[in-house]
Amino acid sequence: MAGPAAPPGDCVPTPAARRTVPAWTQPLGTAVRLGLAVVWGWAGLAKIADPAEAAQAVRAYELLPEALVKPVGHALPFLELALALLLVIGLGVRLVAGVSTLLLLTFVAGIGSAWARGISIDCGCFGGGGHVDASQTEYLQEILRDTGFLLLAGWLLWRPRTKFSADGWLAG
Amino acid sequence: MDVKATSEKNREGKRNARERMQAQREADEAASRRRKKLIAGGSVFAVIAAAVVTGVIVQNQRSEPETPAAAPAGTTGDKNLVIPVGAANAPSVLTVYEDPRCPACGSFEREFSATIDQLEDQGKISTNAHIVSFIDRAVPGKGSKSGANALACAQDAGHFRDFHDVLYRNQPEETNDAFGDKAVLISLAKQVNGLDTPAFEACVNEDRYGGWVSSVQQDFDKSGYRSTPTVLLNGQPIYPKNGNDQITPANLAKWVDAANQGKQLGTPGSNGQTPAPTAAAPEANNPSPNAG
Repeated sequence: MAGPAAPPGDCVPTPAARRTVPAWTQPLGTAVRLGLAVVWGWAGLAKIADPAEAAQAVRAYELLPEALVKPVGHALPFLELALALLLVIGLGVRLVAGVSTLLLLTFVAGIGSAWARGISIDCGCFGGGGHVDASQTEYLQEILRDTGFLLLAGWLLWRPRTKFSADGWLAG
Repeated sequence: MDVKATSEKNREGKRNARERMQAQREADEAASRRRKKLIAGGSVFAVIAAAVVTGVIVQNQRSEPETPAAAPAGTTGDKNLVIPVGAANAPSVLTVYEDPRCPACGSFEREFSATIDQLEDQGKISTNAHIVSFIDRAVPGKGSKSGANALACAQDAGHFRDFHDVLYRNQPEETNDAFGDKAVLISLAKQVNGLDTPAFEACVNEDRYGGWVSSVQQDFDKSGYRSTPTVLLNGQPIYPKNGNDQITPANLAKWVDAANQGKQLGTPGSNGQTPAPTAAAPEANNPSPNAG
């Protein structure tokens, strides 16, 4: 409206003083978003088929009281699928990345604590889970893998704006 | 009042109006951004909360009950999860947790089944068999579950012990899901006199005791025992070692005799199991001679 007529003193800073974000981060962010969605979707689907197995995978960590074992084991795959869905449509990406980070940190802490206590289990990260022979534990690989996923979530926490997302569409 | 003052006032009013409009627009934009953020955040929390609640309800409904709706004939324990073998009044109790697909159980059975059958037949022990089925969780296939169901069907027919011995002697390698094939289980049943009947075949084919198998497994999940075979003599773990002593067939017989000292032996055959031709049963059909 004011256009060029606006006197110098009338100049308004651009809304919220957005820092400029390099253009290439948005397509990369989309790839990261979809990558993390695949991880959660895969993890959720792998755990959903057998509720008793999912509960036992949780029980084997020996961290939760028996009353919480089933609710956690039963809800977890659905939570993971919900995160996958939200990441695919790109809704509330920063928030979803935050929840993902918390969940992954919980997993890493759980695996680390099982390792530290000398319990021999399969993390049950992508189905399975429960006690295994001491020679078959893969704690380091499991933690490194989850750390890789944490990097994906961390990127989205930092740069949540991605191409083809509901967030972008909402922001217009 | 002069003209100059009026125009000054006018200009000031115009600027104020412009500033007010600008401020209003910014406030509107900020409010709209807040609203959109709230919508996105609220939707995220709604989706997550809905997923968690759905998960708890749906998976709980999909879970097999811990107390089975139907159990094979003659099973014991408060939920009928245990298959008893041998004289019910025998002085010692051997408790065995085994998965039909577990290689360590296979080697245990190949080494000890003749001795255990003999101790049962002498009325020295009764065995409480817990048929676990958790190998399927780690190795692709369903041999644990369908094998366990077939064992339940054999118990129903009064031939648990013989079929159990035949299964373990013909156990495939862990990665080979031969027991997942019901035809293989039925064909192995032919090695047990009188077991392979239409009733048994139907029981195997329709997975009649699938729910019971799941209940037994859930009981094992909660038992605190972590691997199979888990073997207890009168509640005391004896596999692979009893204290400092390695288990061997001779040691097992010795330990049982020591535990039974001065006690009345049981009445063999009181569980309705057929006498065992087990030691002589053929091993020709073994799908994997290298099993174990």
